[in-house]
Amino acid sequence: MSRVGKIARRTFLIGSAAIAGGVAFGVYAARQPFDNPNLDDLPEGAASFNPWVIVDSEKVTLIAPHADKGQGIFSAQAALIAEELDIELDQVEVSFGMPDKAYYNRALTEAMAGFPLHDTSPTAERVRGFVGGVVKLAMPMMTTGGSTGVPDSYDKLRQAGATARETLKLAASRQSGVPVAELRTEAGAVILPDGTALPYTALAGLAATLPPVTDVPLRDPKEWRLVGKPMNRLDMVAKSTGTLTYGIDHRAEGMLHAAIKVNPRQGGALKGYDASAAQAMPGVKKIVEITGGVAVVADNTWRAFQAAEAIAFDWGEAPYPAEQAEHWAHLSGIFDDDHLNAEARVEGDVEAAEGEEVRGEYRSPYLAHAPLEPLNATVLVTDDRVDIWAGHQIQMFAEQVVSEITGVDQENVHLHNMFIGGSFGHRLEFDFIRQAAEIANQMRGTPVQLTYSREEDFAHDFPRHITMGRGVAKVKGGRVTALDVQIAGQSVMRSQMGRMGLSLPGPDTQLHEGAWDAPYFNLPNLRVRSYRTEALAPVSSWRAVGAGPNVFIYETLLDEAIHAAGADPLEERIRLMGHDVSVKVLEAVGELASWNGPSAGPGRGRGVAYGFSFGVPVATIVEVAATDAGIRIEKAWVVADVGKVIDPVNLENLAQGGTVFGLGHAINCEITYADGMAEQTNYHAHEGMRMYQCPEIRFKALENGAKIRGFGEPPVPPSAPALGNAIFAATGQRIREMPFNKFIDFL
Amino acid sequence: MRLTVNGTEHEVEVEPEMPLLWVLRDELNITGPKYGCGIAQCGACTVHVDGVAVRSCQLAIGDLAGGEVTTIEGLGQPESLHAVQQAWVEHQVAQCGYCQSGQIMQAASLLDFNPAPTDADIDAAMSGNLCRCGTYPRIRAAVKAAAQKLQGA
Amino acid sequence: MMKRTLWAPLALLAATGVWAAGETIEINPPAEGSVSTEEGLAAWGRIYEVASHPRCANCHTGESDRPMWSGPSYGKARPHGMNIRAGESRIGAEHILCSTCHTTKDEDWSNANAVPHAAPRVAAEWQLAPVEADWFGRSSVEICRQLRDPERNGDRDMLELAAHLDHDLILHWAWAPGGGREPAPYSLQEHVNDILTWGVAGMPCPEN
Repeated sequence: MSRVGKIARRTFLIGSAAIAGGVAFGVYAARQPFDNPNLDDLPEGAASFNPWVIVDSEKVTLIAPHADKGQGIFSAQAALIAEELDIELDQVEVSFGMPDKAYYNRALTEAMAGFPLHDTSPTAERVRGFVGGVVKLAMPMMTTGGSTGVPDSYDKLRQAGATARETLKLAASRQSGVPVAELRTEAGAVILPDGTALPYTALAGLAATLPPVTDVPLRDPKEWRLVGKPMNRLDMVAKSTGTLTYGIDHRAEGMLHAAIKVNPRQGGALKGYDASAAQAMPGVKKIVEITGGVAVVADNTWRAFQAAEAIAFDWGEAPYPAEQAEHWAHLSGIFDDDHLNAEARVEGDVEAAEGEEVRGEYRSPYLAHAPLEPLNATVLVTDDRVDIWAGHQIQMFAEQVVSEITGVDQENVHLHNMFIGGSFGHRLEFDFIRQAAEIANQMRGTPVQLTYSREEDFAHDFPRHITMGRGVAKVKGGRVTALDVQIAGQSVMRSQMGRMGLSLPGPDTQLHEGAWDAPYFNLPNLRVRSYRTEALAPVSSWRAVGAGPNVFIYETLLDEAIHAAGADPLEERIRLMGHDVSVKVLEAVGELASWNGPSAGPGRGRGVAYGFSFGVPVATIVEVAATDAGIRIEKAWVVADVGKVIDPVNLENLAQGGTVFGLGHAINCEITYADGMAEQTNYHAHEGMRMYQCPEIRFKALENGAKIRGFGEPPVPPSAPALGNAIFAATGQRIREMPFNKFIDFL
Repeated sequence: MRLTVNGTEHEVEVEPEMPLLWVLRDELNITGPKYGCGIAQCGACTVHVDGVAVRSCQLAIGDLAGGEVTTIEGLGQPESLHAVQQAWVEHQVAQCGYCQSGQIMQAASLLDFNPAPTDADIDAAMSGNLCRCGTYPRIRAAVKAAAQKLQGA
Repeated sequence: MMKRTLWAPLALLAATGVWAAGETIEINPPAEGSVSTEEGLAAWGRIYEVASHPRCANCHTGESDRPMWSGPSYGKARPHGMNIRAGESRIGAEHILCSTCHTTKDEDWSNANAVPHAAPRVAAEWQLAPVEADWFGRSSVEICRQLRDPERNGDRDMLELAAHLDHDLILHWAWAPGGGREPAPYSLQEHVNDILTWGVAGMPCPEN
């Protein structure tokens, strides 16, 4: 590995200063594409023009390497390739392919350059390009996360399709003698001027001998057949018939099933155990030790669960405060210079600004990811090869982890990525992969499927970080004149990267994400400071990460200020907003909801909130009715600007789902610790939202943004403050802490 | 122990307290019914026993008492979709899809009992099925569409 | 319109199920005239402790068709999660059958309810108590008057009430709920004895 590689691997690159400070690298090298991994085992007569397209005499295969945990990126990737390849989606086979650095995520580094994502100035773009180049050389990460699946794929996969198409045309030209310029392509075939169709499959052999045609211009979006139009997602029929194979559904000859019990005090030691009763239970094949716990291998998952329950354990203490109250007490004590993460934004002078003061303290609890498919992985270890069947979002790192455990070279460790039954960030973690490998390594030659019980899944989640916010706003003359926001929380990135053996020097931008970059440019006095701790429970990225808690804090404080100023919540936000794309989003949500102020009749209220995350401005209006039995959330209107819409139907689904996710957790959910253990053990205590609480949700997408953006996470942040603001409008009760059901009943 | 699943008879050697879910998934390799919670909180394991929705994680195989089991695979196949599955596809309901086998089995059972459910009926019948992705607005629409389709048929 | 009318025969099943676990209850009423009103009222006091206990009252919600989740193991009292409504059928036939989750346990296996927070199951069809047996949040006087009123207690005399306790296997569950739930106070036999004592005393109810 190069020196740059070593430096960057040890000190993950964040911010332009770190890079500009001491690293030199070749622009040329950064621009070189990685080798096409498909060429390694390509059969005779098959052609692969780039890592995403394979054509043989039988079929056309598209590689869609981003992990699909429900967001629909599998179909989106296929559509982007097929758009330029001129093939229909029912004519191709689509595969996740095998992990390779050729599939590294180009969009992931965009947020690392130290500029807010709404800043698309030449300087910001130049630094982003620089950071991207360094990271590509040092640590090309194949990963799905940070709502980057679409932005990473958008140009790259259309280019892949176009390259393949032009190369196939060249082959057709060679075969037919007709100049390329007279050829066209349609439905998986090159069409000669006389109408003869030469299927791509028939051209594969010849095309394989030609150098791929590159530098093909991309089509004008006006010509698109697939992209931008409502799609039938490729996984929809399978997901509606129970025929889709998730990781948990993988079956192999001779496969055994494993269950684990690991210290429920996260990271605590295994001091002792007695498995004699479990050993004698039906179907139990073997009981093995793993890091921090014990695994039971049996012939059936349920039998493994039963036997794991029958083991008596002596667990060590938690390496963090045992009781929840201590966690909050700790956070309330870190608003000081010693814990300063960053003074992330300063405009004007919040202290000198004049006006009536509005103060608030806000809390956002720990939250479990709890995707419906429990964590699972199937691993087969032999002496010279390991196969893993599991859904994971950082595929090659998972392979590396397994390589380290088994001693098998990473190039012989193969992760077969599977469809994922929800993640919300949990499939960025490695515990379940590590444990499955530890078990299978002690059962060499036998495929072993580890399935977490739901209780184990809750106990060993790395939840969303708890956050405490303190804010002071000033209002004068019917306007908001100043916001001073302080946010204290655990560093998610340090916690998460620490488990990957990576360190994060400098501030964790997630601690002020969604607050420092909220483009209320017309607010004359603004300060955003964040404070960092790592002394609490281990935490992980939870859908929208920092923006979730931070937008709740920021937009609730802002709403309180607007109320004190006597202004209209939507109009004042529009006035303060200095970012045109966001202004249009706010205006559009007002139109969609026919906004006429926060009052919506007796006992009814409307609240609005704006959130900027992952480059996407989203505005949400929620309407509630206060009834004798509690608050009923009746309607929500959501408008977002994603730059360019790939599939309007799927986008609407994500908007609705993200809003449900945000609202449900805001009203119903928290993880609390007692005796070092999460008190919530299953969905009865942490359900998110169920249908009866789900409002009608209307959505509109705008396309004014300068860049295409991903939408898996951005709908989440504004939903909670929009709801809290609506409850205030309906009842006069201001709720500053989630979950709201601690303070008010919901139907 | 004998049981009939999707019209096929099977013989399994398991203890009577093993939940039907695990007999289906791990003994018979019928993986459409999903494990989500194990305590009737999520509904992902929903199957029909004698035509009625049951959480298969809560039904011990010894308590099946000769009941005929239908799983999502028995409701309809990709080439022969049940009206409810068809509505699910038309409304592009699924995100991660992991809950949808259970949602569809519950919806099919609801429509069998109540062919023209109101919104309140749907919210009452379907709230035992958890969807962590939040596809509820589309599920509601799909249930209504399926009801119309079935009534028109 | 309902396509099926399954719930009536299903509801009947509840009264005819077999208690496979085999808890034997003896129904031996005290001799007529051997129990004073005072002793009868004391017995009633214990009966009320049982009737108002969450294990019983949660499914005696009167006009409401929503069972409750209350008691120490549930935290704050609230309607049964998941928007559960038992409907007029009291077995959920209009929406989702209680038995979809509360499956019927036919076999004699002892740990049916061992898993915390799982849906309890018994060797009978799970259901909500009849509307007349409205106990949740009701006072001692209200429940007492209901229980002794043949119009509102299923036309049962004291012996029939005791026999009902013996036969209706959902009721047995209240004393062996499993899964970390608090059982109803006393024992089933003691409760039956109290019913009989109270009955022999002439079913006295407190004044207020």
